[in-house]
Amino acid sequence: MRSGLGRHAFPLGVVAIAVAFLGLFFLYPLLKVFGASLLDAQGTTLTFANYLSVLSNRFFLQGLTNSLTIAAAAAAFAILIGVPFAFVLARLPVGGKPALLALAALPLVLPSFVGAYALVLLFGRAGIVTGMLQSLGIPFESIYGAKGIVLVYAFTLYPYVVLPTVAAFKSVDVSVEEAAQNLGASPGRMLRTVTLPLVLPSILAGGLLVFIEALENFGVPFVLAEDKPILAVEAYKLFVGETASNPASAGVLGMLLIACTVAALLIQRGILARRHFATRARGATPLLAVSPPMRRLGAVYCWTVIVAALVPFATVVVVSLLEFRGPVLQYGLSLDNFAQLFQRSYRPLTNTVLLATLAAAGAAIIGVPVAYVVVRHRSRLSALLDVVATSPFAVAGTVLGIGLVLAYSSGFLILTGTWLIMVLAYIVRKLPFSVRSASAILHQIDPSLEEASVNLGVAPLATFLRITVPLMLGGIVGGLVLTFVTVASELSSTVVLYSGPWTTMTVAMFQALEGTSPGVASAAATVLIVFTVLPVALVYRLLRRHELSML
Amino acid sequence: MTAITIEGVVRSFGVLRAVDDVSIAIRDKEFFTLLGPSGCGKTTLLRMVAGFCELDRGRILFDGERIDTLPPHGRNTGMVFQSYAVFPHLTVADNVAYGLRARRIAAVEVDRRIDHALKLVQLENFRPRWPHQLSGGQLQRVAIARAIVIEPRVLLLDEPLSNLDAKLRVEMRTEIRRLQKTLGITVIYVTHDQEEALAISDRIAVMRSGRIEQVAEPRAIYEQPATAFVAEFVGTSNLLRGTIQQRDGEMVDIMVAGVSVRTRAAAGLVGDRVVVSLRPEALSLLAPGEVLRAGWARIVGLLSEVEYLGPVTRFTVQLADGSPLRLMALAPPATAGEVIVAFDPGRAIVLEGSA
Repeated sequence: MRSGLGRHAFPLGVVAIAVAFLGLFFLYPLLKVFGASLLDAQGTTLTFANYLSVLSNRFFLQGLTNSLTIAAAAAAFAILIGVPFAFVLARLPVGGKPALLALAALPLVLPSFVGAYALVLLFGRAGIVTGMLQSLGIPFESIYGAKGIVLVYAFTLYPYVVLPTVAAFKSVDVSVEEAAQNLGASPGRMLRTVTLPLVLPSILAGGLLVFIEALENFGVPFVLAEDKPILAVEAYKLFVGETASNPASAGVLGMLLIACTVAALLIQRGILARRHFATRARGATPLLAVSPPMRRLGAVYCWTVIVAALVPFATVVVVSLLEFRGPVLQYGLSLDNFAQLFQRSYRPLTNTVLLATLAAAGAAIIGVPVAYVVVRHRSRLSALLDVVATSPFAVAGTVLGIGLVLAYSSGFLILTGTWLIMVLAYIVRKLPFSVRSASAILHQIDPSLEEASVNLGVAPLATFLRITVPLMLGGIVGGLVLTFVTVASELSSTVVLYSGPWTTMTVAMFQALEGTSPGVASAAATVLIVFTVLPVALVYRLLRRHELSML
Repeated sequence: MTAITIEGVVRSFGVLRAVDDVSIAIRDKEFFTLLGPSGCGKTTLLRMVAGFCELDRGRILFDGERIDTLPPHGRNTGMVFQSYAVFPHLTVADNVAYGLRARRIAAVEVDRRIDHALKLVQLENFRPRWPHQLSGGQLQRVAIARAIVIEPRVLLLDEPLSNLDAKLRVEMRTEIRRLQKTLGITVIYVTHDQEEALAISDRIAVMRSGRIEQVAEPRAIYEQPATAFVAEFVGTSNLLRGTIQQRDGEMVDIMVAGVSVRTRAAAGLVGDRVVVSLRPEALSLLAPGEVLRAGWARIVGLLSEVEYLGPVTRFTVQLADGSPLRLMALAPPATAGEVIVAFDPGRAIVLEGSA
């Protein structure tokens, strides 16, 4: 009577493949890290000594405190910047909103450590602005340390707050606001007592993303922290080890990082559990009628934020085009920096393009079917699949990298030093994004479209190809490009996993940072900027047109 | 040209029995409606016929040949979805051609049949249009054309009119009925709108909690409801408790609201407690000085509410035991205060069980 296994073969197959993949390249490596943190120096007996020694070490404790305070401060500042920005975009009649939204989202694809490097170029010890200020006799303390790191995070990660909050502001049912005013609340009171509480879950969700990203980020503190200990960096240093690798202590730091992320997720969940609002706007939420000065103030605010966020990147591009003699800036235009960068080889660039393409394709090939099963075949198994497939998001790239090395440097499968291990790490790291973006599109597609096709005589697999895939295509292409660019600017797992021939652009820049001339580093940064912004700009226009035709 | 047999069909979702041992025989070329409140299992049953919902037990046959084992794409049913499900990335013509191309029909023939189907739904000039350029009613027509163009064995319609405005709804239902007669096709139609069901069906199955309450022609559903649920769900009804006092062949005397009412009742023994259904339009107010017609029953009550609705007036009379009696009349009542409600006892319907 039931069509039996045939009907369930597809979801079961997808679950099996996804679980096998994540088991091998995500859970098993994490288990290895956990194992390393529990083994003694000989790697033979179980012990808590590593945890005790790390937790009694003032340096590492300071690292834990630093990581947490910086991540929390970054989230707080991103919320401070992002919420008013989102409000202006969603509710005030300011011009150029599509441009504002696109530019606000831009920092998400730009490599954040390039932003950190730009800050050094401008306000560092030998920075351009620092120099100018000092020549004018104005004392200026440099930007290194926590304040610089928080500044970079706030201005590169604030879009994580803006995007969900704009959507939330737009979906507030206008009649509850009208009810508040009808009951005598002033506009200010209404915002405070009705609108903001309704969008709070989205703000918190955005803030949490900032917190997690800031916690796991490797490049920004590497550039700016100097001797301040930061967990993600210290884990890397301990593992790579200038004298000897210390996987035990690195493992402990990795476990601490994961524990912090999980704790943050649980706290957010606890806050949101008591506030579940199913608000849905019946129509478009109207723009607020505000006075022209208010409107101008809103526009000025948004443009200021965007300029502040993007100027560092523009600076890097400009600096890369200037002439340097050794470390000394000559103020003449030249392409020497690029020549110097690619003097030895173009491999870093071709590697980046190749690895990012493979990773984007891999994440989509696994992620889209997973999303399909999660959305269309609701069951306990698919709910579990959803959790497992999105959990890599909570694991720092450095930790995953360490785990992969521990798991695959010996034994049944040796992958260290290959391109494959890098691509696998990228796929694991980008899978949550791939699954989430694909399921977001699937939620937009009425399941009865697929049923209509089957009803008209087209078998399920053919229906998937003829109806579902074309309807998802815009989203899949968008997801592919976003995966590509975020992999291209990935540093935290790359830095652990790369080997000589598989040096990427991010590694090239990372290495150039240690050199003397800012020219080469900024040239590498410029190449990265071009290779992240250009693809997004291309599909952004494509997606816009696609969306418009769907209206 | 297909007769549909549904035999002992069961489907549970967890502890909920969505469809609970349903058997129906639908005749060839019949317009058959599944009517019931949301959650009664009517859509689940329809989706079982289409193949989108598995059967826990039972079987479904088209012309005596079992189809519930076939995959949904091999059943040759034409389904019209509540949301229309018109493919947004295909033009009107490509939407209509979709099922024909799946059947590998020659291009010339496909072309001819698209024209024919679009003519039937009055969209001749819409071939190159995109779905986003169409109104709700036009999308509905595309969905119907797409379903009938494949010459399905049965046409399945899942609340097809619920997204249209009231006026268009009446127009479209007439058109669907006309189309069904022209094509001579068997239709299963799902709706929760009793007026719609009464207007277009050959027969109606009223469903409740996964079970069939009654299968009958529209008139019989309304005039001889089998259960209190049917009496209340289809139209409105006054349900009064009564006791059978005397049986005389087919006829019984029932004591209800303090009066003895003589009416037809097949079942029930003397002393049984029953529910009596009285339709509002079967009741009338006795004007002052008017004489009660021979054989009619009368109940005295207090006029408590009057609702003027334009063509008709609805009012409520409070009976001595406090229960309300709803009446419908063409003219507003001329009296107030204590009134006499008169009715033909033959129009009182005896239902078993409690209301």
